Amino acid sequence: MPPPAQKNRAPAALDAAELAAVQAHFRTLRREPTPAELETLARAWSEPCRSRTFAGPVRFNDGRKTRRFKNLLDETIVKASRRLNRAWCLSTFQDGAGIVAFGPKWALAFKVEAHSHSCAIEPHGGAETGVGGVIRDVIAAGLGARPVLNTDHLCVAPPDYAGPLPDTVRHPRRILGSVVSGVRDYGNRMGIPTAAGGLWFDDAYRLNPLVFCGTVGLLPAWAVRKEAKAGDLIAAAGGRTGRDGLRRTPGAGPDGNDASAVQVGHALNGKRLLDALLAARDRKLFRAVTACGAGGFAAAVAALAGGRGARISLEKAPLKAPDLAPLEIWLSESQERLLFAVPPRGLDAFAQACAAEGCETAVLGEFTDTGRLVVTHAGTPVVDLDLGFLSRGLPRAEKAAVWTAPKPAGAKAPAREKGLDQILTEGLAHLNVCSREWVIRQYDHEVQGGTVVKPLQGSRHDGPGDACVIWPHAATGDSDDFQGFAVGHGLNPAYGRLDPYRMALACADEALRNLLCVGADVSRAALLGNFCWADPDDPEQLGALVRAAEGCRDAALGLGVPFISCQEILRNQSADASGKTLAIPGTLLVSALAPVADVRKSLTMDIKGPGNALYLVGSTAEELGGSLFHQICGRCFGCAAPAADPRAAAAMFKGVQAALAKGLALSAHDLSDGGLGVAAAEMCFTGGFGAALDLDKVPRRSAIYSDAVLLFSESASRILLEVAPDREAALLKALRGLPAKRVGATMANPVLKVAGLDGRVVMESALSTLKSAWQDALPGRLG
Amino acid sequence: MSDKPGLLAAKAPSSLGSYVVEVNLKPEFADAAGLTALRMLHDAGIAAARGVRVGRLYDLRGPLNLGHVHVAVRELLCDCVTQEFRLCHGAAAASPNSAERWRVEVWLKPAVADTAAESVRAALGDLGMPEVAVRCGLAYHIAAKCGRGQLDKAVARSLANPSIHLILVHEDR
Repeated sequence: MPPPAQKNRAPAALDAAELAAVQAHFRTLRREPTPAELETLARAWSEPCRSRTFAGPVRFNDGRKTRRFKNLLDETIVKASRRLNRAWCLSTFQDGAGIVAFGPKWALAFKVEAHSHSCAIEPHGGAETGVGGVIRDVIAAGLGARPVLNTDHLCVAPPDYAGPLPDTVRHPRRILGSVVSGVRDYGNRMGIPTAAGGLWFDDAYRLNPLVFCGTVGLLPAWAVRKEAKAGDLIAAAGGRTGRDGLRRTPGAGPDGNDASAVQVGHALNGKRLLDALLAARDRKLFRAVTACGAGGFAAAVAALAGGRGARISLEKAPLKAPDLAPLEIWLSESQERLLFAVPPRGLDAFAQACAAEGCETAVLGEFTDTGRLVVTHAGTPVVDLDLGFLSRGLPRAEKAAVWTAPKPAGAKAPAREKGLDQILTEGLAHLNVCSREWVIRQYDHEVQGGTVVKPLQGSRHDGPGDACVIWPHAATGDSDDFQGFAVGHGLNPAYGRLDPYRMALACADEALRNLLCVGADVSRAALLGNFCWADPDDPEQLGALVRAAEGCRDAALGLGVPFISCQEILRNQSADASGKTLAIPGTLLVSALAPVADVRKSLTMDIKGPGNALYLVGSTAEELGGSLFHQICGRCFGCAAPAADPRAAAAMFKGVQAALAKGLALSAHDLSDGGLGVAAAEMCFTGGFGAALDLDKVPRRSAIYSDAVLLFSESASRILLEVAPDREAALLKALRGLPAKRVGATMANPVLKVAGLDGRVVMESALSTLKSAWQDALPGRLG
Repeated sequence: MSDKPGLLAAKAPSSLGSYVVEVNLKPEFADAAGLTALRMLHDAGIAAARGVRVGRLYDLRGPLNLGHVHVAVRELLCDCVTQEFRLCHGAAAASPNSAERWRVEVWLKPAVADTAAESVRAALGDLGMPEVAVRCGLAYHIAAKCGRGQLDKAVARSLANPSIHLILVHEDR
């Protein structure tokens, strides 16, 4: 037990209202809570374990009216997904990961998890923990999934950031390098391809970098449901329990120096655990499983027990160090641990299956039907809590949220001192556009042999793919089944600075567009949302978060694509070198997963040959707010963030998907950062063929009189298609009613030539110049 | 940052053996890790750094004798074609305010999981060794005429992370 001096000390994580609720509860029991009980409640009610803000009540004022949400997440994103009621969504917002059907026999579990604070303290260990944690969530989804894909999306400050930093903060270059090595070391060693993701650079991430790690796992359709029953044994398997992640726990850890705030992942233990779990799953040796993450055994036992009840003897847990206190064992966040509900008759077989993979197991206790969580250590009571109070006792205080639309920024005179070719070259060399090869090449994206569409594409395998396509034949064991899946992302905090609602629409639109471009069936897609925000107690920050959640809701309803999992990481702000608080920009990552009926028909984005037509599908408007163009040239022309129309986008996606399924396009690439100019350049230099574009032919929603706007506008829902001459008529027929026009043609001459509205050539750039700018930028900035 | 030389070894019970093995690339081989460390030190403000060699440290504690250690080193810890090893004996050199050559040891703090050490421990068991406690670390041999304070700061900013690492800085003799 903790030392007497710390007995009954209130944990920092409980606020006054929560402490009052705890006090009232224990008053009815006529006793004081033990420190372990307080810590258990604090962990169970903490932001990482329970979405206190996102799933809490909010009073939202948008300047016109006030609305109240009892549960923000439920009444926006979850409600929209329920309304869509898609049959292929097998488990949403319940398990550690969202699960969707994948053909009649299989299902896919997908989870993306954001990490911030741990990566700021120890980037390598934090990233490893991030990858390890999300893998564990996926392998514990349903009755266990085999990971077949990892994703990573990083938001960091530019690697050559030269401004002042607090002494305790590591330089962005070091954070970037260490995070990439952490993702690499864990994913590569687990034998999981890391084949999708992205990088976003912004100075505001210098104190709080964001690391989004994702995993897709494959499981049999019969293994989606799980439920522990009273009488089942609670078995821990995997790594031993140590003092990992205990620094924040008062009373846990003999001294401050000896307790670590950072967990360190152990990929080899993770692999053993995975193999043991899959062997036991296939023999149906357990009824339920969950990962030990934030909150350790305390959170995992409560999650697995549901409202049932559990009895735990902590002295049975295998330990890294013999001197761990009961509270430390109970709350430790040591990695690579899973908890299983094992029927007593199957225990021996379960233990043997684990031992065969070199995976240690221990029976900690059993599930009961008392509705109580009873924890002891060598006969000494540690915790005796009502599970109903643990799960429903958290007092929900209403938070105020305010949204004030930013005043429209005044457009300045066009920056004519830069020619279109210079803007394009600078755009391609921009950190948020340039080649990510330095990162991608560090990851094993080929392991398991099923990465059909790779992150780097084209004749030289160095162009930017829209999404990856995975053929999980190694996991299914069926090489005659060519069904696969694609994963893509959408993220753009620059739009969020102007309007988080539009950002959410644009991110969902972009994520699906990326899938569409590789030939995925977006009508059966599923979305994940990860929200990273600053202080939710600041009404303006929370107002922006509400706007983003409403954007996700409307995107889901308009596009007809449900969200299956969401996560939020809040309070991403820190004091900078001058002592001022620096908050990250509100950041939303939308990840999308969709099946690909036949991976052999997948598309890539590189131009396939000369003499083909280029069709632009989707209409362009003067939407340059938050755009790459504005970052290069300053604010000029339309300053509103792109306004996606999800319903129109859904119709467009349907038409394009039908056309692609008929094989009417040779390549497809979505228009995002840098608009048509960047997309066309990327397609050309990746394929090694030139193109001539005619801006006068670009489909547009309203009159546009500027070549620059047509070339660099970032209007949503647009795709550039390469079409063979003999397929043009069929394509136009398939796209009837949609804004689609022939905007140019490919050619053997390796240049990108653009004719302006007046018919004159306004830009002609050699592909070698454009490609060099794109490829050399990140290595150059890394030094 | 600590400069107590015996901090890691001091915890070993006197009845058990305690050995720290350092494995370095032979001088005739280019040290890529050293070159990276040199660049990181330059970026961290030690412009006077002329060269860095990086060695691997293994702290082995348990019922071991010198014979066990030599078997462990030759069979597992050291590739004797490209690497050489030595046992670190006695108190480390003093830590002056300035010097021309430095030795910086970087160890994970005791509470931080040392996954490489767990693998070494398991592999030693496979070799038939007695059950031992292992910690892994790095030794940076830095040729740089600079002040101790300057080096401390640079190391904490580049080669190690004080949140999880124990950093020992001495004059390299």
